[in-house]
Amino acid sequence: MYGIFMECWVALKLYGGNGALLLMFIASAIYLVCVEESLKKKIMLGILPLIFLVGFLCPVTKIVYVAVFDDGKDTYYRLLWLVPMYMVIGYGACKLIFSLKRSMYQRIAIVSAIAIIAVSGSLVYASEHVKLAENLYHIPQKVIDICDVISPDDGEPRVRAAFPSELVHFVRQYDTDILMPYGREMVVSQWDYYNPVYEVMEKPEVINAEALLGATRETKCKYIILSTERKIDTDLESMGLNLIDSLHGYNIYEDPQYDF
Amino acid sequence: MIKGAIAILIIALWMFIIPFLIGILVNGMLPTVRRTVGITFILGYMVYFAIFEVIAIPCMLHYVYNAFSYCTKYYMIVCLILSALGIGKSIFVLKKEGWTYLSIFPGETHATSHDLLSPRSDPRMLRLSFSLESRIYWGIFAVLLLIQVILAIVMSSFDGDDAYYVVESLLAQQADVMNTILPYVGTTTTLEIRHALAVITMWIAFLARVSGIHATIVSHSVIPVLVIPFVYLVYVEIARILFRRRQEIIPVFMLIISMLMMFGNISIYTPATFFLTRTWQGKAMVCNLVFPLIAWVFLWMLEDSRRTSILGKKAENETESYAEYKETKPLYIISPWIFLALINMFSGICSSMGVIYGTGLIGVLVLVLLLFAKDIKVILGAALCVIPNAVYLLIYMILSH
Repeated sequence: MYGIFMECWVALKLYGGNGALLLMFIASAIYLVCVEESLKKKIMLGILPLIFLVGFLCPVTKIVYVAVFDDGKDTYYRLLWLVPMYMVIGYGACKLIFSLKRSMYQRIAIVSAIAIIAVSGSLVYASEHVKLAENLYHIPQKVIDICDVISPDDGEPRVRAAFPSELVHFVRQYDTDILMPYGREMVVSQWDYYNPVYEVMEKPEVINAEALLGATRETKCKYIILSTERKIDTDLESMGLNLIDSLHGYNIYEDPQYDF
Repeated sequence: MIKGAIAILIIALWMFIIPFLIGILVNGMLPTVRRTVGITFILGYMVYFAIFEVIAIPCMLHYVYNAFSYCTKYYMIVCLILSALGIGKSIFVLKKEGWTYLSIFPGETHATSHDLLSPRSDPRMLRLSFSLESRIYWGIFAVLLLIQVILAIVMSSFDGDDAYYVVESLLAQQADVMNTILPYVGTTTTLEIRHALAVITMWIAFLARVSGIHATIVSHSVIPVLVIPFVYLVYVEIARILFRRRQEIIPVFMLIISMLMMFGNISIYTPATFFLTRTWQGKAMVCNLVFPLIAWVFLWMLEDSRRTSILGKKAENETESYAEYKETKPLYIISPWIFLALINMFSGICSSMGVIYGTGLIGVLVLVLLLFAKDIKVILGAALCVIPNAVYLLIYMILSH
């Protein structure tokens, strides 16, 4: 039981990051339990959220959750979404601010509350995963440009292309007429799938051109897209492929033996 | 250029005007004091999503070919009929009752002498004039909201799940299928039931299909324009109940909420992170829209229930809301339960996880309500409002075995 409790505790810590949000939440909830006159609000925004939090840390909750959900170990943190943290913090802060008698004190308290949130929090837009959009699709422009080269015209059959793993997330977000021998499922390491093209294209430090061509032909790929910086033992052109374009540091090869 | 402008107009029509017209059509079920523009819009959207769920899931399960075209066609027909009826009702009611029929968001109507004398009015529900200071806070909040919407368009965030969800929407638009092609690689598959019933991806595809805008653009650059203000609208409605007697506090509450959202990226797990970096995904909508909506409806019912709890002193038979002003039509009493049922349907559209969590949340909150309502009928209300969840889970279990 102690081990499961520690798992819950770690999940809570991971959720809370630097802990400031959790501290603000717990402080607000306890404050509301102490000072809120309305019993309804005291229960909804003070007592119940704290009970939810305690329930989250309770090992039995996790045992039941993992039994019900297949991916329960990975998604247990989502139970914390049921705790209305923002509502509790917002209400608690307002309650405190407007309990001050003088308007000037209230104004200072509002600015302080905002400053505390800003300083102790982390700006979403400063995240490493957030950057300036290159287009309205919000996918890298290089993917769009490469896809535009290989995309089949209207009425033509769909094509299959082997892309480097750093691009596979985006290709089919732009054009579903481009199929791939492997996609995101190969990039997520914990899923641990096997794919013959991925094995020869992404895993070796130096690509074995013959093995790559064998795998892409086996999976009926018309195109191979390779980074110009990717090492390969034999030039693909010398093996009969056509280099049809080179864009954004990627070579686009077409396999003339594609006849299916 | 003209084509783009037309596409924007069409998508605005389907994203804002049609759900609002549907809201007008059905807002007669709301008590007068809650029949505001904001709540009408929320109600309209819940009905709009519920209709989509009952059309999309059968289409997905029934049609083998061109399933998405059938879904689009039926949904358009139903929504256009309801919208036309909504327009008809608007004209009729506005002629009869004037513009005061729809109170203006974010406050409600200013009290007129008629309102103050009317036994149907609750003066606490009427908006006071906001002070200059409150207006400044509203202004700052509006700027923060605008910044978030603009940044949602000009900034992009990477999330691996988009390779699944966004591609599902695009497949519906481009290949006319509903969850029967593997998004990652493009091969045909059987219905992937774990995600298939969460048809929010198909609803996004619907917007893409009717507007002609690429589904990925709709997901990443258009949906945030709807969802971000929508979430804050729900928080405003929550605040209006929490600060019923001191509405000048609402903008300060909203400022704090918006700061918590913008600076909430303390980990990848928080609702704030989902809200602003994965806005278009069902999970983000569940934690930022569905759960606050459920909390809001319970705050609404608690506001309408008696002041003293079952544990408190002898009941004063007094509520904090309109019931004491004799506005006690049976429909008004059951309307929050109808709202909850619709929210549950919306939850199912977003994520199967939301259905289970939502049911649990309602189960807990109804116990709190029971303390104050002192009426066993609330249990019945809770049981009835989770019927959509039960049906959803039944379909899920049947299809997954």
